[in-house]
Amino acid sequence: MNTCSKCGNPHIIIRRKHSGQNLCQECFIESINQKVLSNIRKTMLIEKGDKVLMALSGGKDSVVALHIMNSLQEKNVIDLVAVTIDEGIEGYREEGIEIAKANAKELGVKHRIVRFEDYFGRTLDKMMELDEINQNSTNPRHACTYCGVFRRWILNRVAQEEGATKIATGHNLDDETQSILMNYLEGNINNLIRIGPKTESRDERFTVKIKPLREIPEKEIGLYAIAADLNVHLAGCPYAGDSFRREVGQFIKELSENHHTIMYSTLRGFDKIKPVLKKEFTLKGNNGKCRRCGEPAAGELCKACSFLENWEQNL
Amino acid sequence: MQVKVIFGEENLTEDIPENFTIKDLLKKLEIPSETVVVKKNEAIVIEEMLIQEGDTLEIIKVIFGG
Repeated sequence: MNTCSKCGNPHIIIRRKHSGQNLCQECFIESINQKVLSNIRKTMLIEKGDKVLMALSGGKDSVVALHIMNSLQEKNVIDLVAVTIDEGIEGYREEGIEIAKANAKELGVKHRIVRFEDYFGRTLDKMMELDEINQNSTNPRHACTYCGVFRRWILNRVAQEEGATKIATGHNLDDETQSILMNYLEGNINNLIRIGPKTESRDERFTVKIKPLREIPEKEIGLYAIAADLNVHLAGCPYAGDSFRREVGQFIKELSENHHTIMYSTLRGFDKIKPVLKKEFTLKGNNGKCRRCGEPAAGELCKACSFLENWEQNL
Repeated sequence: MQVKVIFGEENLTEDIPENFTIKDLLKKLEIPSETVVVKKNEAIVIEEMLIQEGDTLEIIKVIFGG
């Protein structure tokens, strides 16, 4: 049957191989909205009255998440504020910022743009330049390592500044299964047990992070963005080169060709064993404070400040 | 038969045989189908859809490596 499984419309835009369901444009959009909202309820990502800070890059994942989260703001369940981080990636980030701005404006969501340069004194481009000049040329760090550390730092800081109770990110099913497999293959159990629909840090200074799109495949998010005619930034980051994540992602995609439910079964299996792993492997918390920025830190310095000090010493 | 293909900045005219599907076209152009959404004459279609003479096909890349 080539008609919509829900309404019988003969014009379908997706044939879901993992469930056998065919959907027309309208029913597909509705099915994603319902799935995300039902996951939010099921995994208790939101409590009434939460102030949610949406990490909005302008890419498809965060824009789709913003639009669905906004439906909760319209029902007065949450307060929503969006933040776009300008890492300082010339020729790439500018367009994303404009698109993020336009989406926030369209929905009437309060929006802040914060820059690496303002918080850390340098752009990501500059960080990579410094890294090349400095000692790391023999052991170069991938831009994503710096970007990830500094973005997490900024998100947590902005959440505090805004009085946000949750930080929402656009992580999708592909991201999540990649993380599970990567950390398992690398034997990184400490990182593995942190994966989930919401972070559960015992340190209250870390704002809880939630992933409303965690059970939606990346391809379906792309399809949703086009089907709902959303204004999204469709471009690849120039720093996204060959990484282990990419290799693992490719491997999962190849497996999915003949095993359509593999991403869901990876996620479900992990969610089942996680409580046991967590009980067995959670490290005793060190609720220290970074001597430089005051943010939570396991050692004397948080990761962001240890990078910054390293550069300063080598300048 | 000839069809118009729009892919990013590129505007192409492709010669394809009868009974060619979107999936066949993506394969011919070496575009991984899991990374794109395709519109046929401005409407989103599934990859099993047959292409007809004179169709305009827009291939929109939605997944980028990283």
